[in-house]
Amino acid sequence: MKRILALVAKDFAELRHSPGIFVPALLTGMGAILYPFAIAVIIPAVTGERLSDSADFEIAELFNRTEPAIRGLSAEGAIQAFIFQQALALLVGITTVTGGMSVAAHSVIGEKQARTLEPLLATPLRTGELLAAKVISAAVPGVVLTICCFVAYVVLIAIFAEPRVWTALLTARSLGLVFLVGPLAALLGLQLAVCASSRVNDPRSAQQLGAVVLIIPIGVLQVAQFVGGVVLSGTILMAIAAVLAAGNLLVLRAAVSLFDRESILIRWK
Amino acid sequence: MLTASHLTRRFDSRVAVEDVTFELAPGEIFALLGPNGAGKTTTLRMLAGLIAPTAGTVHVGGERMTARASHLRGRIGFLTEAPGLWDRLTVFENLIVYARLQGVAPTERAVNAVLDLFGIANRANDPTAQLSKGLKQRVALARTLLHDPAIVLLDEPTAGLDPESAHDTRALILRLRGENRTVILSTHNLDEVDRVADRVGVLRTRLIALDTPSALRSRLFGQRIVVTLQGPAGQYAAVARSAGATDVTVDGDRLSIGVDGNSVITPPIVTALVGAGARIVSVIPEERPLEEVYLRLLKDESR
Repeated sequence: MKRILALVAKDFAELRHSPGIFVPALLTGMGAILYPFAIAVIIPAVTGERLSDSADFEIAELFNRTEPAIRGLSAEGAIQAFIFQQALALLVGITTVTGGMSVAAHSVIGEKQARTLEPLLATPLRTGELLAAKVISAAVPGVVLTICCFVAYVVLIAIFAEPRVWTALLTARSLGLVFLVGPLAALLGLQLAVCASSRVNDPRSAQQLGAVVLIIPIGVLQVAQFVGGVVLSGTILMAIAAVLAAGNLLVLRAAVSLFDRESILIRWK
Repeated sequence: MLTASHLTRRFDSRVAVEDVTFELAPGEIFALLGPNGAGKTTTLRMLAGLIAPTAGTVHVGGERMTARASHLRGRIGFLTEAPGLWDRLTVFENLIVYARLQGVAPTERAVNAVLDLFGIANRANDPTAQLSKGLKQRVALARTLLHDPAIVLLDEPTAGLDPESAHDTRALILRLRGENRTVILSTHNLDEVDRVADRVGVLRTRLIALDTPSALRSRLFGQRIVVTLQGPAGQYAAVARSAGATDVTVDGDRLSIGVDGNSVITPPIVTALVGAGARIVSVIPEERPLEEVYLRLLKDESR
């Protein structure tokens, strides 16, 4: 455990010296925050057409009748709450993954590129310890960034949306998304990147794989939510969490057996 | 202390190292020589437990080195070809991470001790990116010795260093011998090897020679003495032959005489030369440069 903490502390010290690597993840988070505001607040304000006047949001009104946190809101507020809740999945998913991948690019792969991996592997550090340290170092900033974005999201909703809409973001479902599904998604993406890194010759492939594997399903989920194909209910959220947890366990086992310090030393150029 | 037994390593169909065997004692400096691609770094990596041999074994203090024997890696200090420092971190931060990874306690005291030992305490708070190549190498050496390893593997420790830094590094290597550590040195610098190594291994996938530098010289070129005279030496060659020398060559004011390990014939030769009126300036054993030995070994091996 001491060796894991030593390596995590080193990675965090390096991150302190290069905060710029979070800029892409930060911009992604800001984009994910702004786009539901565009739909729920900005466009109605500019066009003068209320959301509750549109038939496109029948699904939201349907949801309004079943979701306790939304029940007391006005029709407009309920639709806004629905949009903000559904968009939270994209915010959480994309920010944790891009945040984590930004760091991952500077951790396992970065060690090899900076030629610091060989002396590191020459210490008593075990493969599992190296993997754990690298995944923790990459996951924690992504999760912290996501929580910061979530707080900003709620504050902006409190300021710009209908009264009490922000309370709809503090339900068990939303918090589960931020604190359970988000970290699980981040871990899965990072483990996939590490797993791939022992089997590819080009580190860039490893960097991209974890992100692509998660960002595509997140995008599909988001589209499905807005066309009414999927409502991110508590049950669906728990199902996603269960799938992610199972995926994490499977990938963890695969990563430990596939992460081959020798091939990383020899094959990566 | 360190035993390599029939070490072989293949990368797919290519054989990088084949059937390499040697045993090193505490306090011994062993130089591994060989052309680029001869398998020196691969051998060091196998000794350090970074890659597994395809065949053969490495034993450290009697224990077999395997990928899972992480504690054995703690008994080895490995200076890799590149310094491998984290550029954004300071010298102190770099060393403190390794002290923790190696389980050194108390951590800060150990780091401060190596900073003092290597004369880099005044640069402790500088990011390593700001250091010169020589200083980076010094930090890497400090990292290599931080955990007081019994075995030290040095992969081209003086490559690219200025003469002063190279001199300091050689002094350090000699000090390691004084501390009874086993040192393996991979280098292309034959002058350096001549100065510090107790034994030399010449590697070209296989170990084509393994002995002390002087034994290798004798084996390839025989033992010779050089007699330097005041004035031309040509006229005294016959005198030397008449005193029992069978292999005499002349080079200006010097006679090079083959003695083949028989030091008994040296005094009669010197006496005969003095008797013939030669004015002798010096009589010294001839030391062929290690470079000649090395090139000859490679040439013989490729025949």
